Amino acid sequence: MNGSRYLSSERSSFIPQDTTGDAVTRAIVMQTVAGGQQQEDLVAAKNHAQWVANPPLPPNEWVDSKIYSDEGIFNEELEKIFKKVWIPVCHESELPNAYDFRTTTIAREPIVIVRGADNQIRAFLNVCPHRGMIVERRPAGSFLDGQPSGNPKRMTCMFHGWQYDMKGNCVFISREKEGYQDRLCKDDIGLRRLRCEVKFGGFVWVTLEDNPSVSLEDWAASAFSCLRKTLDAEPLEVFHYHKAIVNTNYKLWHDTNCEFYHDFMHYHNRVTGFNDAYFARKNEAFEHGHIIVGTFEVNYDKYEGFESRAELSFPHLPPNQWYMIDLFPGMNFNLRGSALRCDIVTPLGPNKVMIEFRGLGLKRDTPEERMTRINHHNSIWGPFGRNLHEDLIGVQGQGTTMLPGSEDRHILLGRHENQTIHDENGMRHYYSEWAKWMNRQASDPSKPYERPAAAAAE
Amino acid sequence: MENTNIVRDAIYRATMLLDGQKWDQWLDLCDDDFKYEIKSWSPEINYDMTYLQLDRKGLASLVKLLPMHNTDHSPLTRHTTVYSVDVAEDGKTAKAVSSVVVYQTMLDGINSHIDSGESRLFLVGKYIDTMSIEDGKARFLNREVRLENRRLDKGSHWPI
Repeated sequence: MNGSRYLSSERSSFIPQDTTGDAVTRAIVMQTVAGGQQQEDLVAAKNHAQWVANPPLPPNEWVDSKIYSDEGIFNEELEKIFKKVWIPVCHESELPNAYDFRTTTIAREPIVIVRGADNQIRAFLNVCPHRGMIVERRPAGSFLDGQPSGNPKRMTCMFHGWQYDMKGNCVFISREKEGYQDRLCKDDIGLRRLRCEVKFGGFVWVTLEDNPSVSLEDWAASAFSCLRKTLDAEPLEVFHYHKAIVNTNYKLWHDTNCEFYHDFMHYHNRVTGFNDAYFARKNEAFEHGHIIVGTFEVNYDKYEGFESRAELSFPHLPPNQWYMIDLFPGMNFNLRGSALRCDIVTPLGPNKVMIEFRGLGLKRDTPEERMTRINHHNSIWGPFGRNLHEDLIGVQGQGTTMLPGSEDRHILLGRHENQTIHDENGMRHYYSEWAKWMNRQASDPSKPYERPAAAAAE
Repeated sequence: MENTNIVRDAIYRATMLLDGQKWDQWLDLCDDDFKYEIKSWSPEINYDMTYLQLDRKGLASLVKLLPMHNTDHSPLTRHTTVYSVDVAEDGKTAKAVSSVVVYQTMLDGINSHIDSGESRLFLVGKYIDTMSIEDGKARFLNREVRLENRRLDKGSHWPI
């Protein structure tokens, strides 16, 4: 029995070949294989000194793997980046009714998102100011129902029964007068409110910074410009949620969303995508470290069992388009014609990240339309889909070689292809922004950030 | 009682064939109109989610093309216990509910030097099956894999 179980593993180690008769795919795969063999004959493996030597590329075209593995740098990232920027934490459709709530975490700080009786969505630290108990323990639900320690329409800390309204005001302290006399009262107490906005397709954005350096609009509008008309055309709704906790650095996940050179890993993408229009897709950099990858028409029907998504294209889009928006420091919005995917990273350690995956369709979908969108989403991006599994194996493999304490190495970002799909300008742009926020050079994080020569001369 | 045993036997045979990655033989236990779904209720988004939905033809395409994909080859072992079998009055169909727990024995998923050979709990859920019964044989008309998990880490390419 066991022998047969491993047999299919051996089958899948075959060099990928095009079973659909797509000559372009076959040519690219064979070219890659042939090139690899030639290179093996010409280039010797490296000794340690050669291995650790700087690559023959400018310093902005590689990074030191310490930025993926160092505990100190990780903690600094939480303080200097994640506590300062705007983070999309959920979608408004997850809180459709007054008193609905959702809980989340940014930079180790627990957060509760609530929709008030006035229909406004607000965010608070999910921390009771009394003794530091987490106020709401569930991932989502409604405060309309009473809890064992508290009343309906209240956020109640179960520990000592302190209660808060949907605006974060403290409205009840158990035995208040008996314990505090006139020294402390409800007005002195309240939840910590956080800046919160609903924007860019109904996503709920939160920042821990009371005075963010830029507004949410200025933070992300330019990157969303390619899809804003589409995402804001009508209400969206989340139909998919799952999470992955993998042993890798959050930036490595974001890198994978920022570069498409790794499409060689994806049989599906090679078969449905590798054509002239694919290779002409542009990587475009925007202020604040964001990038987008330009669109092209995907030939879904080139993969056996898959179908065109043209009939359910999101509003204002031509059929079967594929847009990708990558926001610094690690959020991704990915629209493949009929389904929108959003990845939100929650870094848990230098070598550990939680990624929450959401899929969205149009709120007005009929049941049949919704099921089709779900199947389109799942076929590639679901936890049992073709591509997501491969992506997660890839970044976990990187995490395996960059454990805290492992030898620092150079991670190359040096491909130049006229800022098209396999150019690595997107990652270079990201690490240029990272360097500014961290005041560290990504290629040598022991050195402070230096403005690029061209920028300094302006 | 005999029909109940026939249904139970088919579910256990399916488990062994899935564990053995004998996909074609597993599909031979399924009707031409077989429907397969992996679903999970999400309290996070308050939504009954579908993680995978395929008919028999779609499953056949999936297992045919998966060898072209990079994948985690760590084998899955399903522990199935049939909880209930309800045979229709005419004796031609039955509904069965089984508990299923799926273990993953690590092979090449992460760092094989360290992890290979270790068995980990991978999935917890139920099989909710609809079967046809004819000539003393039960065939799968519908299988819903109802997962409790919403944390799925690397996930899987393979039918559960």
